[in-house]
Amino acid sequence: MAAYDFIFDGLGLRKWCDADVKADRPMGLDELLSKPTAGGEKSVSAWEFPFPSLNALNDACPALPRSRDMTKGLEQAFLGAKDALSYVLDPLTQPLSWMLEGSLWVILAAPWWVIVPILLLIVQFVARSIKLTGFVALSLGLLAFIDHYDYAMQTLAIIFVCAFLCVLFGVPIGIAMSRSDRLRRALLPVLDMLQTLPPFVYLIPLIFLFSVTEPKLYGIAIILYAIVPVVRLTDLGIRLVDTDVLEAADAFGMDSRQKLFGVQIPLAAPTIMAGVNQTIMMSLAMVVIASLVSAPGLGVLVLQGIRNLELGTGLVAGFGIVILAVILDRVTKASLERFETGRRAQ
Amino acid sequence: MTVKIAVKNLYKIFGDASEEALEKVKAGMGKAELLESTGQGLGLHNVNVRMKEGEITVIMGLSGSGKSTLVRCLNRLIEPTGGEILLDGENVLAFDEAQLREMRRKRMSMVFQKFALFPHRTVLQNTALAMTIESASLKEREAEAEHWLGRVGLDGYGASMPDQLSGGMQQRVGLARALASNAEVMLMDEAFSALDPLIRTDMQNLLIELQRELKKTIVFITHDLDEALKLADHLVILKDGAVVQQGEPQRILLKPKDPYVENFIGDINRARVLRTRSVMQSLQTANRPFAGDVDHDDNLESVIARAEGEVDRVYRVVRDGQPVGALDMRDLLRALVPAEPTGLDDDDEETAA
Repeated sequence: MAAYDFIFDGLGLRKWCDADVKADRPMGLDELLSKPTAGGEKSVSAWEFPFPSLNALNDACPALPRSRDMTKGLEQAFLGAKDALSYVLDPLTQPLSWMLEGSLWVILAAPWWVIVPILLLIVQFVARSIKLTGFVALSLGLLAFIDHYDYAMQTLAIIFVCAFLCVLFGVPIGIAMSRSDRLRRALLPVLDMLQTLPPFVYLIPLIFLFSVTEPKLYGIAIILYAIVPVVRLTDLGIRLVDTDVLEAADAFGMDSRQKLFGVQIPLAAPTIMAGVNQTIMMSLAMVVIASLVSAPGLGVLVLQGIRNLELGTGLVAGFGIVILAVILDRVTKASLERFETGRRAQ
Repeated sequence: MTVKIAVKNLYKIFGDASEEALEKVKAGMGKAELLESTGQGLGLHNVNVRMKEGEITVIMGLSGSGKSTLVRCLNRLIEPTGGEILLDGENVLAFDEAQLREMRRKRMSMVFQKFALFPHRTVLQNTALAMTIESASLKEREAEAEHWLGRVGLDGYGASMPDQLSGGMQQRVGLARALASNAEVMLMDEAFSALDPLIRTDMQNLLIELQRELKKTIVFITHDLDEALKLADHLVILKDGAVVQQGEPQRILLKPKDPYVENFIGDINRARVLRTRSVMQSLQTANRPFAGDVDHDDNLESVIARAEGEVDRVYRVVRDGQPVGALDMRDLLRALVPAEPTGLDDDDEETAA
């Protein structure tokens, strides 16, 4: 005797409910547990009266679906669309795989005494600070000294590729958002969702869409997660440009392209750079999680530490990630600062 | 002098259904009534002004009187709802995008209250803005920009960034930027209002000095009556988006049209603003020997000082050495008392045209 029998009896639907009951349908776990051990149906007390959920209604009327049928249906729908989606997305995202594979290969194939000086040169170029360059040299040296050089370089290579792509796509999207309120209204919920979804949840549909052996799987996950700040801050930066200055640009006959490249982007540049900094930091966070889906690098060691309870391995790798985070943050912030002060005193 | 800019029956209504509202306003609906019944703001109400070539037209009014709206309608930073704006006989409102940009680059420059310099460009680059847009050669641009920076007294500041300069200097750059475009018309929207009084006086003198030589057609917006009287060749007083009175400043002072204008001019030092030419009589009326000569452009204050307080003297007024009238000290004293509003429209030739 189920709790909601009276509804279906009352409506005269009993016949329809029991029409096609399959005896061998799979049983839910709760169903198994609540299966009366001894014969005889127990009646439902008011205290235990269940919420009219799908499962409870199904008890009374087997023709209605159960919650697990819905989950199953979602899965089926996704699997049904999967082939078509992969057919389109696979070739589109193939360059990402090549870029990731290429950069991973280059950074490991080239000897350390080539890669490290190049990295230091880049740091010196963007930050113009001997102190910072020295700090980076020391940190990289320390990582290499404890034989984590390869892992750290793999992580860096993935971040470079993904952050570069984030900026490449994120800045134009942000510019487009700042110019059209409608696009902004449409994109904001998407950005909100990307930002609030737990990173693990990204991986679920991606695993179905792409094969786990392909780098683009984690590439896409990282890009989706990390692109949000650069889009948001580009939009914000351009919207915050002083309206008086824009009015002056109008009054002197600048067209909208000249205004964009001559006024709006240069004035929004510090905000955009702050977005780039955030994007890089978020790439780093995601690259660790992406080791779940075969992203190489320090994350693999962390994962290994968790899985095999190798406390030391996990802690050292975690320390390496912190060092990388500090390096990336300091360097991007230093270049941002140089950018801002450089404008004031040329 | 020819009319450079003619504003005819100009209306601006802020809101979505401005066309419908325009009909209502033309049918006689007032600002408050319109706002209440339709939620639309009346910015400009049937404005007619003729700005003559080479003159400074000062548009003055309190905040919210529509003066900034009016000046922005001239170069269409704000799109008017109805009416006509003729620049050298061409209807500005009929211009397409490209023509409009062309006009803003070459024929109408602008100076802003908050300077609105580009903070990421040097003073020199800011000054050369109009020429940069026209894509003149770099050398040409820099030479021209240097020249104008020199004219506004900023020699050697070309490499500085705008935020390294004081407010007064920044507005000098704003002025140089407008001058460097070589436009014949210069719009100045409360250009000196953000500056402190001494610097403001400096800038006014600089403008007068430059104007003597350059003879631009200047439309100057201000809420400061002293500034208006100092600069204006033609003064337009706005209230609630409509012109209350316009004409030669001296004339407005002596014959205010309604109590609003009278109130407006009530607080100023008339002896300092009024000129002898405005209060003199014809030479024949002189019934006593002249006590001396005064220039037609002297203010009354200086004449009082010369007369040492005596009221029974008569001075001869001369212009360029020629006697043009007689100034009785009694007339002078009478002129110092604010006149009752006449209610007459005697100098509004604009309405007739």
